[in-house]
Amino acid sequence: MKQLTPLILTVSVPPHRHSGVTVRNRMFKLLLAMTPAAIMAVLFFGMPAARVMALSMATAVFTELICDKFMERDSDIHDLNAFVVGLSLAFLLPASAPWWLVVTGSAASIIVGKMMFGPLGGSPFCAPLVGWAICRISWPEFMDIDATMLSIDLSYPLARLQNFGLASVGNTDLFSLLLGKQLGGLGAVQILGVLLGGIYLVVRKHVHYLIPAGVILGVLLTSGLLCMVDPTNNASPLFHLLTGSTLFGAFFLATDMPSSPNREIPMLLFGLLAGVLIIIIRTYGIYPDGVPFAILLANLFTPIFDRIRPEPFGKR
Amino acid sequence: MNSYKHTDIQQTDLFLQHQCSLVACGQGVKRGERVAISLLPGKGDIHSPVGGKVSYVDAYRITIVAENNDVVAPVNLDGLPGDDLKRKLLELGGDIPDADSVSTVIINGVDADTDVLTRQHMLTSSSGTLERGLAAITVLYTPRETVLATLPGIQLSLPEVLRSIISDQYPAGLDPMVVKAVTGKESPEDTVIIGLETVYHLGRIMETGLPVLDTILTVNGRGKTVPIGMPVGELLRLEGDHVLDQDRIVLGGVMRGTAAVMVSQGVDRTVSAVSIVRNPTPVAMDAACVGCGECVRRCPARLDPAMLTNYAEFGMYDKAAKEHVNACFECGLCGYFCIARRPMLQYIRLAKNELAVAQRQIEEVVTS
Repeated sequence: MKQLTPLILTVSVPPHRHSGVTVRNRMFKLLLAMTPAAIMAVLFFGMPAARVMALSMATAVFTELICDKFMERDSDIHDLNAFVVGLSLAFLLPASAPWWLVVTGSAASIIVGKMMFGPLGGSPFCAPLVGWAICRISWPEFMDIDATMLSIDLSYPLARLQNFGLASVGNTDLFSLLLGKQLGGLGAVQILGVLLGGIYLVVRKHVHYLIPAGVILGVLLTSGLLCMVDPTNNASPLFHLLTGSTLFGAFFLATDMPSSPNREIPMLLFGLLAGVLIIIIRTYGIYPDGVPFAILLANLFTPIFDRIRPEPFGKR
Repeated sequence: MNSYKHTDIQQTDLFLQHQCSLVACGQGVKRGERVAISLLPGKGDIHSPVGGKVSYVDAYRITIVAENNDVVAPVNLDGLPGDDLKRKLLELGGDIPDADSVSTVIINGVDADTDVLTRQHMLTSSSGTLERGLAAITVLYTPRETVLATLPGIQLSLPEVLRSIISDQYPAGLDPMVVKAVTGKESPEDTVIIGLETVYHLGRIMETGLPVLDTILTVNGRGKTVPIGMPVGELLRLEGDHVLDQDRIVLGGVMRGTAAVMVSQGVDRTVSAVSIVRNPTPVAMDAACVGCGECVRRCPARLDPAMLTNYAEFGMYDKAAKEHVNACFECGLCGYFCIARRPMLQYIRLAKNELAVAQRQIEEVVTS
């Protein structure tokens, strides 16, 4: 190679080395962590599940591209965030969701949950939950997991608990719950896969362990307390932990980067609040699975939790 | 070969930051002649590393071409009282932090960056010079105690100095962290911390009576004695390294060092290491904060770098000041861990600099 004379040096600001973890890298790891649950979902629900996931991701990506076009910004599509949003939303939908529901939910997640607040990092809410909430409130009959999944020989334990009381789920086998033998969001109920991916993320420090720990602790403590007060009407803590999207919410949704607090104590409080809200909504609310609303509500408290902070170094 | 000579320098570019040039184009200078005075209190002046002629001067740079071996006459510093000694040492290029009523002087002998071993090398190879420097510091500050902070496992023979062992985990070796490790307090008022290279430079001034004309730095993983003003390109060439187009020459550690602007840039006395970094792309990009919080959790000063850099990015320096931007001691970890690869440290330095400029302007108005 012929050298330029005089030599041109690259001048840049310190640090001159980087940890190597970039946004794209982190999003890829999130997708990787969601893969086991996605595979389990296809095994249990067949092609309908694959259809919902693919459609949701494709819509998310194209919606982001179109938004970038309208907003006249350079597209960040290569950071893979749209794929994560799309797949997260699909994980919360029933495998039977009609195509227009998936498309609307996914597009709403990207437009209202992400792009309206500028590039990645501006949104105060976990994006897929925004799309989910819009669909859940606008078309409750299509989001009703029990009614739309009659063709499959599985039950939706949370809806049974809500409609028919504790006795109807009293003999639920926790091990079969772990294997995903339950109805619910198509990926969120693949508990084993979700747990596998979640542990991978925590061990590799792609999400901070305090948020999932807070959510799980909040769920266990609140449901344990309710169970102690009235064991005839309230399900066991483990039942709540292994049904619906509790664990998916704890590891993948509550840990959403911009909408969760940044410091240790706020993170723990945020997780605890989300966990407590999950049980409160499940026990006293009208929604069988309170996870998405619980996390959305907890998102609202993030700025307040973020005010809990130490004094800076050497401040007098 | 463990040292280089000033005769290796044919031409050198001295870069000015907070100094004011004293020379004009075409002027002849002797080796060791003062060519720029420092505008900051506690910082020493700059001297010509060679005898020769000034070929270029502007506000940022003095270029000197070597022609002869004329050297300035040595100054006798023996027996001077504290204040006179301080003034003389500053004139001769010693850096002496301003402080009154000091009870503890901490000498920072820790190389904070893992790829730098300059201070380690000084401790083992130049104890005689360091002793002279320590004696000068005792005269300057008359402290109650002097503590030398080093990494574990370093043998040395300096008398009358307390030792304190510091972890080699970055950023434990940075000045504020060392002060906290030694005294147990954050930014105590009666303590001053001085880098070991400053002690070495003061020792060299005391030994020779001449300005600071050489320094020790790390090249290729070894400590070397290098004349100040040695062009970095020349230094790397003598080391057998070939600088290629679009390389980065990093002066100092990889976490905090600055990139050289040109291959003829001379090393100054603050440079602790010279190395080539060959990343395909610069580390930082113009990107928005994604709110991951990595910087917040890693910041050893317990600041919120995400917020600070957002304020700096949009020119809201007063808000950055309210968020204690000045408590930042510039370790660079926020930029190292930033997943959006924002130029974190640069934004923080921008805010600090803008605030300092505004402060100076206010003071000028108030005093006039």
